[in-house]
Amino acid sequence: MKFGITARITLALALAGALVASLTGYYALSASRALLVQSAQDELLLSTQVLARRVVVARQEVSRNLQVLASHPITLAAVQRADTGTDMQLATLFNVLMEANTGYLQIRLISAADHGLERVRVDRDGATTRTIRGNDLQEKGHFNYVFETLKLKAGETYLSPIAINHEAGSHAGLDLPTVTLATPVVDAQMGVLGLVVINLDLNATFDLLSADLPRNYTLYLANGQGDLLIHPDPSRTFGFDKGRRYFVQDEFPGLHDLVGGAVRDKLLLANTGAHAAEPLLAAFIARGIAVRSNESGIVLGLTRPLQAVLLQSDRLGRNIVRLVLLVSLGCILLAVLVARALTRPINSVITAVHRFSNDNQASPLPVDRSDEIGVLARSFARMQGQIRQQLEVLKDNQDELEHLAQHDTLTGLPNRRRFMDRLDMTLERAKRTSDGFALLFIDIDRFKAINDSLGHAAGDAVLLAVAQRLAQSTRKVDTAARLGGDEFVLMLDHFADHDMIASFTEKLLQTLKAPIAFEGHTVHVEFSVGIARFPEDGDTAETLLHNADSAMYRTKTGGRNGYRFTSDADTQPSLL
Amino acid sequence: MLLQTYFRNWVRQLAVVTALGTLAATAGAQPLLRVLAWPGYADPDVVKVFEKRTGAKVEVTYIDSDEALWAKLHTNQAADFDLFAVNTAELQRYLQKGLVAEIDPSAIPNLGRQLPRFAQANKIPGIVQGGKRYAVPYTYAEMGLIYDRGQISSPPTSINVLWDPRYLGKVLLYNGGAHNFSLAALSLGYTTPFAIQPTQWAPLIDRLIALRRNALTFYTQLDDSIAQFQSRKVALMFANYGSQQFQQLQAAGANVGYIVPQEGALAWLDCWVITRSAHDSALAHAWINYMLEDHPGQVLVSRQGLSNTTSASPFLGPEDKLLWLQPPADVDRRNLLWDRIYSGDRANKVLAP
Repeated sequence: MKFGITARITLALALAGALVASLTGYYALSASRALLVQSAQDELLLSTQVLARRVVVARQEVSRNLQVLASHPITLAAVQRADTGTDMQLATLFNVLMEANTGYLQIRLISAADHGLERVRVDRDGATTRTIRGNDLQEKGHFNYVFETLKLKAGETYLSPIAINHEAGSHAGLDLPTVTLATPVVDAQMGVLGLVVINLDLNATFDLLSADLPRNYTLYLANGQGDLLIHPDPSRTFGFDKGRRYFVQDEFPGLHDLVGGAVRDKLLLANTGAHAAEPLLAAFIARGIAVRSNESGIVLGLTRPLQAVLLQSDRLGRNIVRLVLLVSLGCILLAVLVARALTRPINSVITAVHRFSNDNQASPLPVDRSDEIGVLARSFARMQGQIRQQLEVLKDNQDELEHLAQHDTLTGLPNRRRFMDRLDMTLERAKRTSDGFALLFIDIDRFKAINDSLGHAAGDAVLLAVAQRLAQSTRKVDTAARLGGDEFVLMLDHFADHDMIASFTEKLLQTLKAPIAFEGHTVHVEFSVGIARFPEDGDTAETLLHNADSAMYRTKTGGRNGYRFTSDADTQPSLL
Repeated sequence: MLLQTYFRNWVRQLAVVTALGTLAATAGAQPLLRVLAWPGYADPDVVKVFEKRTGAKVEVTYIDSDEALWAKLHTNQAADFDLFAVNTAELQRYLQKGLVAEIDPSAIPNLGRQLPRFAQANKIPGIVQGGKRYAVPYTYAEMGLIYDRGQISSPPTSINVLWDPRYLGKVLLYNGGAHNFSLAALSLGYTTPFAIQPTQWAPLIDRLIALRRNALTFYTQLDDSIAQFQSRKVALMFANYGSQQFQQLQAAGANVGYIVPQEGALAWLDCWVITRSAHDSALAHAWINYMLEDHPGQVLVSRQGLSNTTSASPFLGPEDKLLWLQPPADVDRRNLLWDRIYSGDRANKVLAP
């Protein structure tokens, strides 16, 4: 199949339009995606930083509570001597704090003496708190938080490594991820006498700190080495406690720098390993620990599914696709219109050329246009005009030639050839309609004498006058012709009645015989007429003409100046 | 389990890898030996030598824990393997299930190359049963004492040094109930540290509380122990990870010594064992015989830091007493009581029901 210029222009324009629209759409979409991802990451990082700040604030609050407890006179009294009253007072104080802070699992006063024996201890136990007494108090001297805190000065805080609490008898805190904070109890004279310890529920504390984060944010916490401590899959946390360590930098390979301490913040797109199926946007930060600690630092991170971020861009993408489709549709429409506007004048020129070449007819041309098509149309119109003019001249010439071929040049009457054509036609007609006609063969008597006496010009004038009189005396349907010399023939159509013909002939002869003026002379002429009728006197042109001719000849020989029917024996009227 | 803990620290590859693929399955008439072993026990170059020599195909499957080993052998009644490596304590449950075939010592001439302490099978608890031998010792690690030469000038001789008040707050111990009860039993001169008599519990608990009170703290991880030893100026450490721990401390620049106390050091001993469903017993014996040659033995020392049974360990004297670990019948009770002791309970509370 061949495409016309309209189809081709339409296709090219539509494709170009759709291509431009699609490319623009694609770039707009990818740029907006990058922007969305960037802003989501910035937001994540900001949230993580805010969270880290909250962790610091929360730690400072615990430190303040520890200071309040450690510097309280009851605490000093309780650590120096075992006295039930004092212990109970302090336990009440601990209880009040436990009630106020749901993340606290334990508050204890531990003595530096007696292998770190607990003096006052309040445990969280289910929904309530429990004051531990007597034999249930334990020796804690071999735990980091005890011997490390005992080395501190008044007002300093120790933060333990974040670990699972395996200290039997810890009630609610047993086997929970715990961070332990402690401060020494110092007497001005006697030095460090003991310590106050607060155990924090790691998960409860972080749940509180991160409670207002958007729902699809996921919190990660790791220690300075990268051991996962908070993770959506709890089985991956505290791996060091179960014999198989899980590192945050293994799950997020981009974090090696961060855990190594080379950078403090890290934004990344996690799309490998466990996150290959559902990529995550992640922001991680590493922070040191401001107080004395055996923990080298923490790594805090927030992630959110990339999918959730891209949902917004998907919406945008759908709109862009819709827009691209609309624009493409517009392009197609525009392409059709442009192509038509462009090709319609061309088509009209083509139509004009077709019609002109087929039947020489003129069609409207877009000659008023000022563009190339206008030039083409005007050129064609000019050419069309020239051709038509030349054709008309040609036709006139042809008509003239035709006329010359069929008419007698002197008289303008049809010549023998034309007459024979008419005779054939009339014969045809008469045979069809059974309506007869008559042939009158007319010869000028003694025409040679006129020529001889008055000259050929006189002869010609006589012939001319006879021709004129013949033409004037006949109807439109009749044919008067000059066969040559002084011979004329008259064909009277629908005119076959013998008497009527006879009367017509007599009248005709009357008219013809009127004197003819020529250069001061008056010329008198007479005629011999032979009449043949169809169908009586023959049914072919030759027979009829021959019969009329011989009737005329017989008139001549019978005395001239009269007429004779083919069937007549005598010239009529003989009196003429 | 001790062995499991031990391996955690140097086994990086966690996945169970089937070496040499299924090639052997299409080999047709070529004899096939299916070996289940710990990483490092049958490295590809070591295997290749054996294959070349015997024309057999060796298919090695690696495991990384006692539990994985048990699962692999137990689920299909040992039908999938011809040979495996297991420690003497763990071996007992395989014997009870009858998954193991008798060893024919005459088919393993290299038994004669083993050090005297491995020469007499019936002196190694757990490998001879009903007069029949079931295992050939291959590699081992003992748990000695590491001391800081700066703080302790003359090498300690007895395990009781852990209780020495001179080192109060300077003793680093391992947090594990099974071993610590055995240690306490040795220090009290009990002859059966792996089987505690009813009357021995109370004195043992007192002894362990005393140990706790003398301790700085307790570790579980190898790297943790190295870090604590150095940062806290530890004088003395029970080396749960043995000579490997000692070598790491030395590499870290610590001025340390390593001894096996006169009471003896707890030690695990890994042996090659043939399964009851071994297709080609002669080939399995040939493998064990090959494993006792110099090259495989040296690979253990140089690549894994383990000792082999045919050459003397640089960390042990010939007279040093090793106590091959046996599965304590009372391991649950030990762990329960140890949890309480570790948590700081006093004696009357520890012994409470």
